Amino acid sequence: MNTFEVLKKLSEAPGVAGNESGVSQIVAEEFKKYVDELRTDALGNVIGLKKGTGPSSRRIMLAAHMDEIGLMVSEIEKGFIRFTTVGGIDDRILLGQEVIVHGLKPLPGIIASKPPHLLSPEERKKVTPKDQLFVDVGLPEEEVKALVRVGDFISFAAKCVRLQGDMASGKAFDDRASVAALVCCLEHLSQMKHRWDVYAVATSQEEMGLRGAVVSAYGIAPDLAIAIDVGFGDSLGLSDAETIKVGKGPAIAIGPNFHPALRETLVKIAQELEIPYQTEAIPGPSGTDAWAIQVSREGVPTALLSIPLRYMHTPVETLSLKDIERTGLLLAHFISRLEKFPPE
Amino acid sequence: MIELIRTLTETYGPAGNETRIRQVLRDMVKGKVDELKVDALGNLIALRKGKGGRKVMLAAHMDEIGIVVNYVDEKGFLRFSALGGVFPHTLLGNRVEFENGVVGVIGVEKLESPDKVPTFDKLYIDVGAESREDCPVKVGDIGVFSRPLIAQGQRLIAKAFDDRIGCAVLVKLLEEIGDCEHDLYIVFTVQEELGLRGAVTSAYGIAPDVGIAVDVTRTGDTPEAPKMAVALGKGPAVKVKDARMISHPGVRQALIRAAEQNGIPYQLEVLEGGTTDAAAIQLTREGIPTGVISIPCRYIHTPSEMVDLRDVENAVRLLLAYLSSKELTE
Repeated sequence: MNTFEVLKKLSEAPGVAGNESGVSQIVAEEFKKYVDELRTDALGNVIGLKKGTGPSSRRIMLAAHMDEIGLMVSEIEKGFIRFTTVGGIDDRILLGQEVIVHGLKPLPGIIASKPPHLLSPEERKKVTPKDQLFVDVGLPEEEVKALVRVGDFISFAAKCVRLQGDMASGKAFDDRASVAALVCCLEHLSQMKHRWDVYAVATSQEEMGLRGAVVSAYGIAPDLAIAIDVGFGDSLGLSDAETIKVGKGPAIAIGPNFHPALRETLVKIAQELEIPYQTEAIPGPSGTDAWAIQVSREGVPTALLSIPLRYMHTPVETLSLKDIERTGLLLAHFISRLEKFPPE
Repeated sequence: MIELIRTLTETYGPAGNETRIRQVLRDMVKGKVDELKVDALGNLIALRKGKGGRKVMLAAHMDEIGIVVNYVDEKGFLRFSALGGVFPHTLLGNRVEFENGVVGVIGVEKLESPDKVPTFDKLYIDVGAESREDCPVKVGDIGVFSRPLIAQGQRLIAKAFDDRIGCAVLVKLLEEIGDCEHDLYIVFTVQEELGLRGAVTSAYGIAPDVGIAVDVTRTGDTPEAPKMAVALGKGPAVKVKDARMISHPGVRQALIRAAEQNGIPYQLEVLEGGTTDAAAIQLTREGIPTGVISIPCRYIHTPSEMVDLRDVENAVRLLLAYLSSKELTE
């Protein structure tokens, strides 16, 4: 697969938490090439099953969330659109963004506020809070009211761009970079033998509190699970302790959320195949789908791979395409070697 | 309808101690349902059988917020903490009542700065006792706001509209619904105010095809209120989003269609804080398509919550219209 092309398609599709239908179509198209069965559940999770050769029918669940953070119409005031946030939106990045308002039809709009000349000295010192911002779609009040309703979703309109080297930048790489890694893994697996049944899940509503992972894990009842999400990439102003390095491979997480033997097996395979990897210590709740999956039903041994990502929760999230490919490769080799777990 | 609402709001039933309100609700619905049971957490589950349609869970929580006594001093004054979302500024000058009927006045210690709202540790309850021994309230006893219902025109004022008004809607629904395609599991849940706990277990037990919660929501129509496009008297609100959940788009659309086709006024709700039983029902088992009908309510979690009777009646109409359809999601 062309990693950038897949990432670009995924990234640019709208899919704010709670309404993932835009991106889930693209995920379904990509999964369909490799899986035996495909379904969408009541919360909108896209679940692909690639059957193993057996003899037992043990199941591994791979989870990467396809929802993105975004906005929602809360009120229409004189033709301008007031909004609330869906997921962890940073007020600092809102002003000046291009967005799409998903009304009766998609409407391009921009996020605006007062010009700086007219701010009070106090206001100038502060980030403009979201309740003083609004979306302007350029239509008169009556037309806005005819096309847009309270509760309509608003997504960022940022394009996915190729930077120098193998770097790319765009919106919703959190966590569609990991969905791209799932596609990459499935592609590898289509050329490999594997005994276990593989459930590739593009989860919904992670940004609303891991909600898609809760129900999809219950439904699949996996014997093992690996969540794939993004980790804080190195950039200015952050210490080494807070970050993992972009371009140095996925991080294999260590901490109470992760099963030690599962983690060690991933490390061993990465070492053997000389796939670059890093270690990320997460001492408490990981805030990823892994946190929900681990306590599904009677408990699931769970691991987490993190793709290093700069500028998380902005429309200019930035990463290395190689890190996506390495994540997919590591997952595929792990799965093809799976026999017993825990290993003896 | 007002008498029904009066009985429901004035009955004692804090989270975790719903025995009394459950008995009242049981008496109201028995004879109108095919099965009636109470589960291990105390949820009251009434089943009205349909004609082979879907399994629909309709939930309203019967618990209310309160205070729990954690210490009785030698003079008989009570110290307490919050049970659910109770805030000190709603307690000043207020009264609470306990299960045994004893009423207490909330007192405040001498404050260093009277312009600040005191914290719980500066508040106490005075039931008029003269000593610890003489005090008719013990550690662990739970008090609730003590207020009668007042009807003033179309506006109603009472404690515990959150969520006895939802209970009233469901009781009224059972009275008015004739033949229905669907199996209706009417659930009066417990412990919503402690984190949707009754909804978690009852939804797991029922495993419905569709879930609907009926609860209250904030309004943006009072002086200097934070922005919100919901007002009293403009119809029940169909929830799009709150702090914890996004309603299932298909259920939401079906509710909107039911309202529009039957000329029932409605509003769309985007709530920034708070949530309802629906957030728990949605995550049950493999996931349940779930929506919410909200009654607009001012001054939630105070002793004087306010709703509009027309919104309550229209919520019943909306549910009747929604349930008359064969398809419950779009």
